[in-house]
Amino acid sequence: MHYTFQFGVAWQRLPDLWQGALLTLELGLLTYWGGALLGLGLASLKTYGGPIGKALANGYVTFFTNTPALIQIYFIFWGLPDVGIVFSAFNAVLLGLTLNTGAYLCEIMRAGFLSVRRPEMEAAETLGFSRWQQIWHVIVPHIVKTIYPALANYAVVLMLGTSMAMIFGVEELSGRAYNVASENYRHLEMFTLVAGMYILLTMFASLLLALVGRAAFRVKTRVF
Amino acid sequence: MIVHKVVDQLARFFGPDNLGLLWQSVGMTIALTIIGCGLGFAFAFLITLARQSRGLSGAVLRIIVTLFVEVFRRIPFLVVTYLVLFGIAAFVKGASLFLIAIVAICIYATAYLSEIIRTGFESVPHQQIEAASAMNFSRWQTLLHVILPQSIPVILPPAIAFMIAFIKDTSLVSQIGVFELSFRGKELVNQGMSGLFVFGMIALIYFALSYPLTRLGRWLEKRLASSRGQEPERQLRQA
Repeated sequence: MHYTFQFGVAWQRLPDLWQGALLTLELGLLTYWGGALLGLGLASLKTYGGPIGKALANGYVTFFTNTPALIQIYFIFWGLPDVGIVFSAFNAVLLGLTLNTGAYLCEIMRAGFLSVRRPEMEAAETLGFSRWQQIWHVIVPHIVKTIYPALANYAVVLMLGTSMAMIFGVEELSGRAYNVASENYRHLEMFTLVAGMYILLTMFASLLLALVGRAAFRVKTRVF
Repeated sequence: MIVHKVVDQLARFFGPDNLGLLWQSVGMTIALTIIGCGLGFAFAFLITLARQSRGLSGAVLRIIVTLFVEVFRRIPFLVVTYLVLFGIAAFVKGASLFLIAIVAICIYATAYLSEIIRTGFESVPHQQIEAASAMNFSRWQTLLHVILPQSIPVILPPAIAFMIAFIKDTSLVSQIGVFELSFRGKELVNQGMSGLFVFGMIALIYFALSYPLTRLGRWLEKRLASSRGQEPERQLRQA
């Protein structure tokens, strides 16, 4: 078989791809922070919420981590209109990925909660720390330091995961590439460029997260 | 009215027409996971071996292999799938969608599993490898008798967890038209069934596939961890 690569044609549409990349970043950041809040709530419920709260949080996490994110978004985008709840494609993906991310981040944060040991709290109490001082100076730094690598890793996983928004016609990086490719018929070249951009984006994100982790929380993470 | 609707949907979903096709699509999901990840594991193993090759000719191999792993761990699975789809379509005529999906899953799984295997290999203390070479073990003997027995309990739990998690990720290949569970769900909705009902049921089927295996994986992890739980004894012997 014969195939002639024409990267020039694809390269001309690079500005389109950058716009897509911005949307990828936007989607990733919104989802991540939404998911982190949700995860924090779920992890607190699981740890301090009593038997009912624990069962609720457990049920949520078990269901959302054992079904595909894609099906969850299908349910929101094509299922919920049956009962009169209509989301735009972007909002459906945002909501679905946030609910999904919340479940995974809950597991990570829960591990952090469990890593605080009783003697640490007792030591803080002995030193005359107030309740808030205990939380702020003992619990939070400890938890953050423990879970930061896992959180940073999940941020990169999520950034890649946002590519499934293209299935719903959202014009983020891969969606934009697909649409451009259906205009200029250079699918292979467009997706090669997109792959390159994902590599750049995630490397940049890993590097940034490692630097932030090192500066702010004294966490040593492997970048490459 | 609503009850009537639900009963009607249930009857269609569990009717003989759908049940056979649904079964077929579940089989496809399982086949994609097992074949793709199984091949991926084999390649990942070879890649990890290649990463440990030494010397100048080994360096080239090492760089290529490391690049492969680092690159494909940073590309979304969906993009890998499209790359394989368009790549194969450009050079080979009439490749089946199943084959394309398997190749995509295999590439992705190879990249991820090779990191898991490498971590397992690196968990074996370096002194043991030095000891093996001092006792004149060849590299194959070292691998077979020193590294593998100790690294397999470290490798298996995360590798199995990855494969179980991949059951869910296979839903993405429905996008290129492979007839698996999510694809069947979309077909049913296109045939006029309620999206709420269909995707609810499809989610439950995925759950039924994934949840028992997740539990099994965790159980296995505990078992393997306890079989490795001879740390104190080992430390005593070292002292």
